[in-house]
Amino acid sequence: MANFIIWRLLATLLLLLIVSLLVFWACEILPGDVAQVALGQYATPENVRALRIEMGLNEPPVQRYLAWLAGAVQGDWGRSLVTKSSVSALLSERVANTALLAGVTTLIAVPLAIFLGVVMAMWNGRAVDRGASVVILALSATPEFLLATLLVLLFAVNLGWLPAVAYLSTGSGLGQTVRALLLPTASLVVVVTAQIARMTRAIIGNILTQPYIEMAMLKGVPDRRVVARHALRNAVGPIANVVALNTAYLVSGIVVVETIFAYPGLARLMIDSVQSRDLPVVQACAMIFCATYVLLILLADVLARVFDPRSLPQRPMDAI
Amino acid sequence: MADSTTTTSGCLPASALTRRAFSAGLLTTGLLAGTGRGHAQSTPKRGGTVRLALFQQSTGDTFDSARYDKGNDYIRGTSVYSYLTRMDEKGEAQPEVAESWEANKEATRWVFTIRKGISFSDGAALTTDDIIFSILRHREDKVASTAKQLIANITSVTADGPNKIVFELAQPDVDFPILIGIFQFALVKNGTYDFSKPIGTGAFTVKEFQPGIRTVLVRNPNFWKQGQPYIDQFEMFPIPDASARANALLSGDVDMILELRGNSIEQVAKSSNAEVFVTPSTRYTAIQAAVDRAPSNNTDLALGLSYLIDRKRVLDTVLRGYGTIANDHPIGPTSSYFNAALPQRELDLDKAKFHFGKAGIGQSPIELSMGDGVLYSVDIGQLMQREAMRAGLNLQIKREPAESYWTAVAGKRPFFATNFHPRPTYNMLLNLSWKKGAVWNFSHYENERLEKLIDMTRAEFDLAKRKEQYGEIQTIIHNSGAIMIPTFLSYVDGVSKKIKGLTPLPIGSLGGFNFTDRIWIEA
Repeated sequence: MANFIIWRLLATLLLLLIVSLLVFWACEILPGDVAQVALGQYATPENVRALRIEMGLNEPPVQRYLAWLAGAVQGDWGRSLVTKSSVSALLSERVANTALLAGVTTLIAVPLAIFLGVVMAMWNGRAVDRGASVVILALSATPEFLLATLLVLLFAVNLGWLPAVAYLSTGSGLGQTVRALLLPTASLVVVVTAQIARMTRAIIGNILTQPYIEMAMLKGVPDRRVVARHALRNAVGPIANVVALNTAYLVSGIVVVETIFAYPGLARLMIDSVQSRDLPVVQACAMIFCATYVLLILLADVLARVFDPRSLPQRPMDAI
Repeated sequence: MADSTTTTSGCLPASALTRRAFSAGLLTTGLLAGTGRGHAQSTPKRGGTVRLALFQQSTGDTFDSARYDKGNDYIRGTSVYSYLTRMDEKGEAQPEVAESWEANKEATRWVFTIRKGISFSDGAALTTDDIIFSILRHREDKVASTAKQLIANITSVTADGPNKIVFELAQPDVDFPILIGIFQFALVKNGTYDFSKPIGTGAFTVKEFQPGIRTVLVRNPNFWKQGQPYIDQFEMFPIPDASARANALLSGDVDMILELRGNSIEQVAKSSNAEVFVTPSTRYTAIQAAVDRAPSNNTDLALGLSYLIDRKRVLDTVLRGYGTIANDHPIGPTSSYFNAALPQRELDLDKAKFHFGKAGIGQSPIELSMGDGVLYSVDIGQLMQREAMRAGLNLQIKREPAESYWTAVAGKRPFFATNFHPRPTYNMLLNLSWKKGAVWNFSHYENERLEKLIDMTRAEFDLAKRKEQYGEIQTIIHNSGAIMIPTFLSYVDGVSKKIKGLTPLPIGSLGGFNFTDRIWIEA
């Protein structure tokens, strides 16, 4: 197991290196560099020249990449070209915000979704399954922006119970934070729950048709015990993977929700930085997103192996 | 010296009067009454926090006034820094840090008297050195400044004693007191190049500043305007989504929002706790032709295109009535310089066909470069495209990315959309956009007579003569085949009914982005 994790972590590092190269290359070929974009209508040749010198953009790309890499390896993400503040300072609040929203959403959505999925699988084809399936299908087909906007119109504009924007001032108390986060969390929970519940239902449903489940039932094990002890244990692997993918999505892909609730998170920062061609920030965001995906999937695989020793590989290289 | 100078306090009535009349005509003052916010009679109240939602989210937010190019920065600037002068609702310069000023007869030498007893938020007194640096730093090679062109006319800035600053100009400029009060000329400390911890003499000091996330400003207890500002705290943060922004205003989460769009305007107009704050202005979105290349160097082609614009429809459907119809030149219809003798261009397919025939364009496709980077350009283009079909022109719209629009599209494609905010004076705008080699002459248009006229208006004190010169300028631009200006766009913002003391200024949103030291909250 330890070998397996070490090999995977090494592969992750290689992957991060490749991604950073790709991101750097992509930023280089985008039209307009950071100086031109920052100056917009005011991008006269003399202004662009002054700003390029100030930003250190006159060095060749290879040299800039290596300088960035040397810093990143030592944990120094460099300075934002646009704001001139250090990237880690720029990221700190955004990372905390994103982690908070993704964390709370995951904590609520995952148990709820697995519960729903199991219930639907156990009563497969009956009223409760069909009813829940219709609702869940409808919700997973609803775009986030529509759901979020409807929630805002109802709870913030018409009823006035909750704030319309998830704006956190520094030092806002727990009550304020909870109120601010309620609507974005609710919209995300709905979307994520629907997905995970459907997958859970399919996975458990599949397992329940296996011969060993039939065997357990035949020997008189009650339904609940069959699902909890026999089926669920074998479903941990695939469910963990679904959860990992959804959590990673919550970290990197919720730009719509961040925009509607004006919530300063990482996804929005990534888009802003790409638009302003702020390479160090783009790189840092890309690294975080990539690492999140890889590590969450690694975690899911480890969990799968813990619950199912059969899947442990014979040789470490097989795992990769 | 007394003989050869004019003072703003009325020593030389002729020129003072002319300047006032000139300024009043220049801005769209006639439209100011339409907003119904005459709260000046109630007395300001002290205290409270005001929150403003911005429409642009940018990690490029800055306190370096040399880099200012958007409302976010302008509002921060007018809150934290002071300026020598401020433009008022009538388009006249009003004293701020400069108590008074006087010019020589030629308007090439201006002397500003500085108010005494102003200090920075760190306690240091504001000196003439600070002021000279604040102006001249825009000329330095290492400073990328959005005011580089504006400062080009200043040949020297010197101190004359502890409270007088002398500006020498290369060309006469009767509007100089307005120019020196623009957002970029914020007063900063001598030798400041790093603005991450801004120190100003303004109404507020910075409590928290996170670019792209939020700005929190608190009252500066030592602000030199007695009793001001009225509010204790001012916060601003971006809500880029237009309907989310309006929702935040309606639910009371924010007190002011920039740029209402579409259906949100009606929503706010109907609500009980907020209202639409309209600022009529001469901001415009134009379609320009690059006259230095084919096919856009064909004047008839551009003139034909200008007859394809249904201006009334643009105003009614795209702008929802928040604007005025324009006549392919940048002078607003309420300006006293407006050339009423120039016939208004309208949708006219016969005239369009005539010009297209003369241009010999046939069925070869004509491309309009537009994009989300230029407000309403795509909507206007689509309306034109519809009429083009009826006039037998193969008109295509090419959507261009916003990020590289101003470097890769504007001035680099045959036909492209541009967007201009009004400048404090028309002369400033004309200088920056219609002179050979000027930074915003995206059409690369060259016309000696036009350039001469622009210079003449800047040195001309006589209103009648000036009006004549401006009239000719409008005719030249109208017939240049270099620009189509279908409409002028008003600024439409949303403001809570609690907020008082706000008056529109036609050079920008929410009182020309200069309001934080004047507003108060009425409980």
